[in-house]
Amino acid sequence: MIKKDYIRSVLNIFASSPFKPLVMHANKGGDCVRKLSESLFAFCNGDMEKVEALSREIDVIEHEADVIKQTIRSELSSSIMLPVHSNDLLNFLKPQDSISDDAQEVAFWLTVRKFEAPDEIREGFRELISKTLETVEMYEVLVSTLGELLETSFSKRDVEDTLDLVVKVEEMEHQVDMIEKNLVRQIFRNEARIGAVGVYHLARLVRGIGDIADKSEHAADRLRTMIMRR
Amino acid sequence: MILFDPLVLLLVIAGLYMAWNIGANDLANAMGTSVGSGALSIKQVIIIAAVFEFVGAVVLGSRVTSTIAKGIVPVDSINLVDPHLVALGMLAAILAAGFWITLATFYNLPVSTTHSIVGAVLGFGLMAAYRGIIGFEDIQWGVLIKIAGSWIISPVLGAVIAYVIFSIIRYFILQRAGDPYNIEKKFVILQIMTACFIAFAHGSNDVANAVGPLYAGLHALDMAGVTIPLWVMVMGGLGMVIGLATWGYRVIETIGTRITELTPTRGFSAEFATATVVVLHSYISLPISTTHTLVGSVIGVGLAGGLAAVDLSIIWKIFLSWVVTVPVAAFTSAIIFAGLLGVGL
Repeated sequence: MIKKDYIRSVLNIFASSPFKPLVMHANKGGDCVRKLSESLFAFCNGDMEKVEALSREIDVIEHEADVIKQTIRSELSSSIMLPVHSNDLLNFLKPQDSISDDAQEVAFWLTVRKFEAPDEIREGFRELISKTLETVEMYEVLVSTLGELLETSFSKRDVEDTLDLVVKVEEMEHQVDMIEKNLVRQIFRNEARIGAVGVYHLARLVRGIGDIADKSEHAADRLRTMIMRR
Repeated sequence: MILFDPLVLLLVIAGLYMAWNIGANDLANAMGTSVGSGALSIKQVIIIAAVFEFVGAVVLGSRVTSTIAKGIVPVDSINLVDPHLVALGMLAAILAAGFWITLATFYNLPVSTTHSIVGAVLGFGLMAAYRGIIGFEDIQWGVLIKIAGSWIISPVLGAVIAYVIFSIIRYFILQRAGDPYNIEKKFVILQIMTACFIAFAHGSNDVANAVGPLYAGLHALDMAGVTIPLWVMVMGGLGMVIGLATWGYRVIETIGTRITELTPTRGFSAEFATATVVVLHSYISLPISTTHTLVGSVIGVGLAGGLAAVDLSIIWKIFLSWVVTVPVAAFTSAIIFAGLLGVGL
């Protein structure tokens, strides 16, 4: 859009900030995982219609996240000066984007086969998704501190607060790992009841959900690098 | 009465047109940052700008005006040949500058009125030398080099000062505060002061672009002495204020709604640096571009880590416009001057 405003120079120096869209993008990832959590509960209760519907909803949100990501990338030309290295920013955007990608994939895998397994595994899945969602939501809190960081132009105290949140995300991801391992063991222990295809399906779901927490931890780690290397 | 000499009338009209342009664009650019940070409403900004722009023009505007009028082209030696030549030449210069500014405004190019008028006055001098009225060596190349140097130094100096000011604010205030938003509120008052300061600075430097040629003409026709008549400065100040009130407010509005990044602490740093650099140059009689200095200052705040995103490609655009403006304005002015000589006005 070229609109002649009859203004020379001063406006042209202000580029659009990538930080607000970054927070929006993180929240889209969070939205995907919240929907995925709903979907997994529906899956455990055998409500496949709801699982299908939620999968479509997640597709839409994931696409919105992609659009935001592309906008951020396209506006970050080499002449733009940021208070952080733009490479670091792009490096952290990538795993953040994988959160919604992975959620979308798990949501799809939920639709392909009904849940048929003992109650303890059902309980394990609920625990796994809850902890994963908690991790992602902690990650959202972490990203939202970027606004304050910019406001004080990276004051020591705010940087410390943000780094503490990174550690929290890492701890939560570790807990997800523990739950993940237990659940996989349980699934294989029940091999006879679930059947080979069932084991494959459930193990695949566990790995997919675990990946979401992994990506949050990965993105949090990159965010720390971005802040430290500034 | 000699005041109704058609030449003088034309100079007055062209001068007013330039003043209007400056008020509508440059002044609006300088003041827009105060609206953007939410320190002032548009109405308040226009009132502050009107008062301090006017005061700056009348109180400190004469030094740069003298440079434009007498510092570049040796008008006194041309006067000895024919006083009308100076008036004609200055008319050509201001018409050329006005034309180039209008064109640039239409195409939204970052062109400075200061660069235009300096180029245009130089064009007049070159044509006078080409016609053998003066020698090429009579043109004040030393002054021109100083002016050109100040065009590079002023944005850089703005950047350095803004960098230092914002770094101090950041280190001593922002990083120690519990609530940064509260600090921003306190800076609103400071920013109102810098808004006054920047309007004053702008008036003191940029009024010359409009009334410099007029004064030179009046001086040549023996209607003004060594000191610049007060009514000339008042006229320039008024012209700029009218430009701001009739058109500039829209520019301020646009800038204000789009620059949301520039919070009061950032706005204060950039404006204070700009105003300081501009007043300094007004004091040492050098015409510089307020807008370009402001751009430099904003970059300074960005370098200090104060802004989320700064587009540095503008540096190249400014440099390009700088390189294009001076020759184009000079050439246009020279052609108009030759034309006027041919008509034998």
